[in-house]
Amino acid sequence: MQATQSMIYQTLLLCLLSLPLGAQSATLKINGSTTVNLPVAEAAELLRAEQKMEITVDTQGGSSGGISMLGDGQVDIGMSSKHVSKEDRAKFPKVAFKETHIGEDAVALIVSKDVWDGGIHSLTKQQVRDLYESKVTNWKQLGGPDRRIAFFNKEPGRGTWEVFAHWLYGDPKKTPQVSFPEVGGNEETRNKVSSTRGAVSQLSASWADGKEVFALGIKPEPDSGEAVMPTAANIANHTYPMSRPLFVVTDGDPTGPAKTFIDFLLSSRGQELVRKHGYLSLDQLKQRTGRL
Amino acid sequence: MEATITVEATQPEARDRRRRPSLTQCASWGFTGLAALFLLSLIGVFLWQSLPIWQSSGIAYLTGKKWFYREQIFGVLPMIYGTVSVSLIGLVLAVPIGVGAALCAAEILSPRLRLAVKIGVELLAGIPSVVYGLLGILFLRDWIYRILTRFDPLSGDTLLTAGLLVGIMILPTIMSLSEDALRGVSARQRHAARGLGLTRSETVWSVVLPQAFPGIVAAVLLALGRSLGEMIAVFLVVGRQDNQWPANIFSLRPLIEAGQTLSSKLGGSETNIAYGDPLHWAAIINLGLLLLVMVCGVSTLAYYFLKTDRHA
Repeated sequence: MQATQSMIYQTLLLCLLSLPLGAQSATLKINGSTTVNLPVAEAAELLRAEQKMEITVDTQGGSSGGISMLGDGQVDIGMSSKHVSKEDRAKFPKVAFKETHIGEDAVALIVSKDVWDGGIHSLTKQQVRDLYESKVTNWKQLGGPDRRIAFFNKEPGRGTWEVFAHWLYGDPKKTPQVSFPEVGGNEETRNKVSSTRGAVSQLSASWADGKEVFALGIKPEPDSGEAVMPTAANIANHTYPMSRPLFVVTDGDPTGPAKTFIDFLLSSRGQELVRKHGYLSLDQLKQRTGRL
Repeated sequence: MEATITVEATQPEARDRRRRPSLTQCASWGFTGLAALFLLSLIGVFLWQSLPIWQSSGIAYLTGKKWFYREQIFGVLPMIYGTVSVSLIGLVLAVPIGVGAALCAAEILSPRLRLAVKIGVELLAGIPSVVYGLLGILFLRDWIYRILTRFDPLSGDTLLTAGLLVGIMILPTIMSLSEDALRGVSARQRHAARGLGLTRSETVWSVVLPQAFPGIVAAVLLALGRSLGEMIAVFLVVGRQDNQWPANIFSLRPLIEAGQTLSSKLGGSETNIAYGDPLHWAAIINLGLLLLVMVCGVSTLAYYFLKTDRHA
């Protein structure tokens, strides 16, 4: 039911996208990553109620959507689950992108129940590469059930995809081009993977519930030893390779309502929201790694 | 289009008071001009911004079967295939049901019942497409996936799913407009036909349907225009898989695999990535231009048939 609700919510958001942007300037407009959206949308709700702030939060186009809309001046805060790249900065030379780190998340390869039950709990990097390049097309080839592999690829430009591509190929731009069915937001990914046999996709590890969708571990190469699962501890001490920072991005240092909002995210209540959605808060990171 | 009709309608009146054009007339001309200006500048901007891709790829843009933007390869043929097959599946579903329902409403139902059916159907036409898309995700996707298990589709996101969804969406358009066309055939003709001894069904088949035919074709074409441009509902269930050019274009098998349409591509996140890269951006803008040309072509054809219908 939760899944259905969030699906409705996401679809309604899609519907809202067709409305013209640019209402009153007093409204604090936020857009970007569906991953960062979870704590941010909840913070926005609290601030709306407590401080009567007018805030709209949207998830059009994921992280790159957030960055380009901030660059275009259509929003005040961009949400991003990746660093603002040199290319982004070059595209919008007049904008001084300022990242504010609010937490950390891990990207996992998630699979549907039949794959997990069929014995696939972790993969090596090479196996993932074969999977991505369609060199293996049946789970049997990886020691799993006899079923075609349904790879749902996160849309390029999504923070999730970039983390995945960066880990696998070192540079998203060097990633070979593949043609898989594409998925956008996290809800969509989770729902499609859970409802499809033999499905696999890249998704924020916090979304793997262990009931319908399962996060795979990463096995060291060559295939030996313990797999590293995307647990909080492994993410914090960076043994799990696919972790990523979560940012809110502003044009220059945040001022006015944007500052109020970001200060709230960095406060203990805001950080509590980050933890609540399965991400690591800044103090957790500091404790475990001794650095930010 | 409506504005133009208003202008024509006020013209005889204007001839009487030629010296001072009325406020209505001025406003009509003004707004018609404004609408035309918008359309022309839209096309102008599209053409201007899509120029780089024509310079670099030329006709290969239209005939290319691969779209790999990181390698700067842009071919739209699979997307055209997706758009056309989704629309055709929609028509195959919606035309028989829609025209059949229109026949039933126009020829069989009592006037009061007919009105009720018509209002109901037109309400259906007003439902936002995102709601259809949502229903598609909740039900249609899973049904298709379950029903087609024997054929082993990779998932429930297929061209067929999108086509069926679009078919349901255009059903009200076809039904309502065909019904108008059927009711447009004058009662005297029906009476004359019955008077000549034709049965009710013979009257329908040999008198009403032939006369209403241009109107029905126009209804179908207008519905086709809507299905070509449908974005959100298709986006949610089509799978958005690039480069799905079928080995055999007449084979039905590719229809139960995921695909990509022009509009679902435009709705994806690639537009954000393309922004700032002139060539990639031009390739994306050109998708919009293609869509515009297709929808305009179909609509023009529909208006041609509507005009034929009016003179009949």
